[in-house]
Order: sequence, then structure tokens, then C-alpha cells
Amino acid sequence: MLLQISEPGESAAKAACKKRVVGIDLGTTNSLVAVVLDASPAVIAGDGGPIVPSVVSYDGADAVVGRAAIARGLAHPGDTVASVKRLMGRSLADVDAVVALSPNQLIDDAGRMVKLRFTDGRERSPIQVSAAILAELKGRAEAELGGALDGVVITVPAYFDDAQRQATRDAGRLAGLEVLRLLAEPTAAALAYGLDRGTRGTYAIYDLGGGTFDISILTLVDGVFEVRATGGDSALGGDDLDRAIVTALCGALDGDAGIVRAAMAEARLAKERLTAAPSTEVRIALADRVVERTLTRAELAAIAAPLLERTGKACRRALKDAGFTAAELDGVVLVGGSTRSPVVRDYVAALFAREPLCEIDPDQVVALGAAVQADVLAGGTTDVVLLDVVPLSLGLETMGGVVEKLIVRNSTIPCGATQTFTTYADNQTGFDLHVLQGERETVEACRSLARFQLRGVPPMVAGAARVEITFQVDADGILHVAAKELTSQIEAAIDVTPSYGLTDEEVERMLIESFEFAEDDLVARNLRTERVEAERILAATVAAMATDAHLLDDDVRIATDQAMAHLRAVAAGEDYLAIRAGVEALDRASKPFAERRMNLAITAAMAGKSLAAVEQDLAR
Amino acid sequence: MTAVDSSPDPFATLGLPARFDVDIRALEDRFRELSREVHPDRFVGAAASERARALIATRALNDAYQVLRRPQRRAELVLARHGVVIGDREVLAPAFLMEILELREELATARAADDTARVAALAATMRARQSGLLDGLAPQFAALGGGDDAAALAILKRDLITLRYVDRYLDECDAALDD
Repeated sequence: MLLQISEPGESAAKAACKKRVVGIDLGTTNSLVAVVLDASPAVIAGDGGPIVPSVVSYDGADAVVGRAAIARGLAHPGDTVASVKRLMGRSLADVDAVVALSPNQLIDDAGRMVKLRFTDGRERSPIQVSAAILAELKGRAEAELGGALDGVVITVPAYFDDAQRQATRDAGRLAGLEVLRLLAEPTAAALAYGLDRGTRGTYAIYDLGGGTFDISILTLVDGVFEVRATGGDSALGGDDLDRAIVTALCGALDGDAGIVRAAMAEARLAKERLTAAPSTEVRIALADRVVERTLTRAELAAIAAPLLERTGKACRRALKDAGFTAAELDGVVLVGGSTRSPVVRDYVAALFAREPLCEIDPDQVVALGAAVQADVLAGGTTDVVLLDVVPLSLGLETMGGVVEKLIVRNSTIPCGATQTFTTYADNQTGFDLHVLQGERETVEACRSLARFQLRGVPPMVAGAARVEITFQVDADGILHVAAKELTSQIEAAIDVTPSYGLTDEEVERMLIESFEFAEDDLVARNLRTERVEAERILAATVAAMATDAHLLDDDVRIATDQAMAHLRAVAAGEDYLAIRAGVEALDRASKPFAERRMNLAITAAMAGKSLAAVEQDLAR
Repeated sequence: MTAVDSSPDPFATLGLPARFDVDIRALEDRFRELSREVHPDRFVGAAASERARALIATRALNDAYQVLRRPQRRAELVLARHGVVIGDREVLAPAFLMEILELREELATARAADDTARVAALAATMRARQSGLLDGLAPQFAALGGGDDAAALAILKRDLITLRYVDRYLDECDAALDD
């Protein structure tokens, strides 16, 4: 029923402005971009194939990305950044294990997200480095598709917390991309597999990438992809195995950037050779000596064992959370470059007591799935719905340093929760609120997301003022918090200090500072974005008015017609702010009509099955 | 701190009769069916207010599903419909309070000593107790409505409060085993 209501609008809008949307897998080691053409997803290849190594090398203000950056990194290790994804949304204290062997100079930013300092003294946020990778992929996609992108879906590890997701979305904004959705990597993989196979059943997606591990348990029924549980470790991947190999062969290394990078690269190559061969020769040149020896697959398995056991633990917990046993699953899917290794495959096969599936290239499957979701959001594919979850519980600090969970992990998103607090002192006019993410009971064991100061509460005796805190998690898995004092109905002032993410002002500033976005470009981009939005809403409104004319009363029809005429006029001009205002005005004018249509649609959906039928189902 | 239920009736949201005995498979099917209809991804081409409505409807649906698929939350909801609400400062039977305090101390000791086997054993005992209490809910709810329910409701309330403590305890066991 809803399809009949929304489809004409969508197809009309689509005809009016053919959308260029792509899916991006922004990986720790490699990144890819894919697009749906002729109803099936394909990766976009550039020079040297579809894979862009996630490496950025800076020469002053200029960024070089991918293979060229790797080449430049040999001579300029301190100006070259690899695996920046591990730093996203992380403070220096969070990443100390990584820092120990990093060739980059990492600096603390007052406990907020770590920054990188380059040899010329410039400092950059991991968000800026990620944005450089995204800009490269954007350029590639625009060259292939012959025009500016209208939107992207960017994948993130399912186990990325709020700070890491925000950082990723900010990187997209900084690269000049319209981020339609952040999508969990294993969910994207399932989408690529599910569509391909027309599958029905419950699957485990084991995703071991360069720097992150995810496990998701999903149920696929008639195009609905429902994530039942997810788990993982956002700091565990092939990188760690490379590091473990170096440590096992050479002992602890000093911090010389070039030597560490070369040793890690040799370890990675040796690991990759062991995919085909039972043993291989390794040669690592250190400052004072050269380590030469044979490494066997059995030795690699022993080195990898502690890391793989960490993945096993996460898998067992996810199964338990989902309420399934390994035997009840219909299959296990391998995703991520690290799952090419027979050592990993053998471990997964033993863990789930079955041969894992890997028909789709594990390096490409995530980008392919992201492209499908981008197509869904652009109105292309209509028979698919993804129901993803929040990976970690969200809560507030209460008295005594205890965390009160408002939203528990594995809740389907978007979701919300509300909790009321009372004052504990007479005439208290403010609250300090501390938002946390994690499973533990104590504040110290959870991740701090933000601190709020709520002011303007009217003075009352202790316990009389009631402040209602609302948590809402959007479809990207990002949390929004609002607060209201109930007795006075005052929306108390909130100051948000994100512990890791960027404020809107910071993103704007970075955008303006970035030479790629000189002011003219920014205006042109805004104009284009607003025009597309105007065309979209005009087409959707025309289609809706044609389909549901009977729901329109005269007042609303006249107001809507006027707003449409005004919007058409301003959209022909150059003032993007006027267009934006026109879009908002049309939206306001047509709101009663839109609400009536929505009510009808929901009522129809609810009525799709009568109560009697439901009760009959229950009795059965 | 008090929880406020500002959401509409979860049973109504999912179009299911308001009773404890829910067929989980039917609930899941219903959830997927409705998700397919109201999910915001289906409204990307629509006007902003329509998209907002889809978001609100989906959020209500997800929140309702979250409550109804958990027997304990569902039981609390049905109990509330009988006028019995579990508050934050419920007075516990002294014997139960003592017991849970002792069990927590035992857990803390085992955790401090890195005695994983002991933690696992404590968790197993508590999990058995949890299943027993959960299994007992359905027959208790089924027996309601036979005239004087006050005593039966009091027992249900006591069991649900006990389950909250059991849950917290098991969370701590899991955290200890994760270390």
C-alpha cells in the first residue's frame, strides 16, 4: 500500500534528476567504491584496479593517496599515514598500543581525538586524513559516472561506537560528500550475499579486516535483513597479526619509523605468501642486524592463536545475544582481506563446525553491499529493508559513578528511550550529565561520549524539579540527546562537549580551510545540493497530489500550489539560501496533507492483518 | 531516578493482543512485516514531514519490539495493566536481600582472585534460577482472572523484582568472564 503511495513520487523524482549514488568501503588497509548499474553492483576500477590502499602521504598542503602514497612513504615515513581508521574517534590514551609502533607522531588534544603532526609542523585530525581517502574515491567515482555524486553510503565496522561513527560521517562531510547513511560492514556483506543468493535463514558474518573485527548474526526473510546481534573489537585485525609476526621474529622494536614500516610490510607479505605455501622465507632488516629465517604456516597459526581466540570470544557472545547456537545457523560468511588466510579459515570452520562461505571476493563484498544500500536509498531497489542494531549500550552516569543504561546493545535502530531525573539538592538550577557507551556498570569502564550541562532549571526543593532526558539513536547508529524540565516545561539550555567528535563549527572551519573548497566551490556545491532537493520535493509533491487528491482540502491545496510556484521560481535563481527556504516553506505548506497520507498508510499497514488473524496465528 | 513510559502501548504498536503469552515467531513476523511498511528507507523520496513520520513510526515499532520480545519486560508491562507497577525503591524481603548481598560478595572475591571457574559456577547457578523464574511466569499469568488476583499479582511482582536483581548479577558475571 505504501509502495503505491511513495513509488510514483520516487520514480518521478528519479526521472527528474537521475541520481548518482555509490557505496564506499572505507577500510583500514584498503578502500573501494562501488555502484549499482543495470540492477547489479560492481566495483569502480581506476588505475591499478579497484582497490585504493588507505594510505595518505602529505607533501606540505598536498595529499597523495593510495599506491602513490605507499611509494612516497618509503622516503617520507613521517609524512605518510597508514591505517588511520584505527585513530578515528580515539584519544591518544585509547591507541597507545598502536602508537608504540607507529611511524607517525601522534599528539594528545586535551584528551579528545588524537592528532597527527607532520614533519613540517602541520597538524591534522584523523578525520582530515580519512577525508583525503574519501576525496580520492569520490574523484574516481565521478570520473566513471560522468558527474558530481548526489550521495554515498559509507560502511563502518558494526562495532564502531558513537565517536567512531561521528568521526566517519564528519570525514564524509569534509570530503564534500552527502552521506546518505553509515552502514555496518557485515550488514553490507550480507546484503551483497543475500541478494545474490535469494537467501532465507540465519547467518553469521565473520568480518576480519586490516584493523577491525566484526561478528554479526542476521536473519534474512523476504528481503528484510534483520541483525539479531553484533559484536567485535574495533582494534583487532590483520595489522595486529603483522605486528605480532614482527614481534615474534625480531623481539620488541624501537620507534624508527622507516624500519618499523618496512618490517611490518615484510611480515604482511610473508603472511600473504603463507596463504598458498606451507612455509616461506622472511628477511627483515633492522637498524643493527638482519633477521632471516623460515616461517611455517603452523608457526603463523601459533602466532595468530591469541588474536583469533579474541574473535572466538566475540562470536560466542554474539550467538548468545542472538539466542542461537552455532549448529542452528544456516551458514557462516567470510568477509575482509584477513579471511583469505587458511589459518583464519581453519579457525572459523572449527569455531562454527562448518565450512564458511566465501564465493564473493572478501575484499569487495562490503563495497558491493554498500552500493546496493545506496541504490535503495536513492529509490532504485525497493524490495530490501535493513534492520541494523546499536552495537553497544548507551547510558547516563548516575550517583556513585554507576552507569544507568537507557538503550541496551543490539536494539534495532532507529530507537529511543526517555528517563526522568530529579534534583538532589534544594534550589539546584543545573545538572551535569555524562553520556556513556559500553556494557559495564561503572563509568570508568565505559567510553565517555559527551558531557552536558543543563542549566536554567527553576529553583525548587530537592526532588521537585523533574528533568526528562531523551536519547534517540538515528539510522546511522548515532546518538542524539535532548533535555526538558517537566514542571516548568522549560527546555533547559544544553552545552554539549563531544568527547571525541567534531562540533559543526569545527567541520565548517576545516571545510573552509581546506583549499579544495574555496568559497566559490562551497557556494556552487550548496546551490547544486539545494536544487536537487527542490526538484525532488517538487516531483514528489506533484506525484502525491495526483495519487491522493481526495486527501487534499482547498486551503492546503492552495497553500501547496503557491509554495510550489515560489519554489520553482527561486530554484531557477542562484541563491541557495532562498531555495532552501522555499523547500522548507513547501514542506510546511504540504504538512497536513503529508500527515494524512502517512496516517492512512500506517493504518492500512496495521490493518493488513486483522486482530483475529493475529490471534489465530498465536493459537497455532 | 524514575523511568517514564512516554511511548504508546507496545502491544497496540505491533497489533498484538495485550497478554503475556506471545508466540515469538508471530511477533518476529509481525515486526518484519511492519518494518517493511514504515521504515524510513522507504520514504527517501518523500517530503521531510513524511520522512519524519516514518522515522517516528519506526522508532515506536523498534522500541515496542524491544519490550515485547523480552519475557521479563513483557511481563512487567502486562503487570502494569493490572495496576501493579515496579518502582525504583521496592522494599525487598530481608532474607532475599541478604542472599543477594552474599552472592555479590562471593562474586567479587572470585573476580579479585581471577577464579574463572568459580565465577562460571556462580553464573550457572544464577542462570538456572533465572530460567526457573522465567518459566514460572506464563502459568502465573494464565491463572490470573479467577476472582481475587491480589495475592497472585504480589507473587508475580516479587518474582519480577527478583529477576531484575538476577539480571544485574548475571551482567556482572559476564563482565568478569570477559576480562
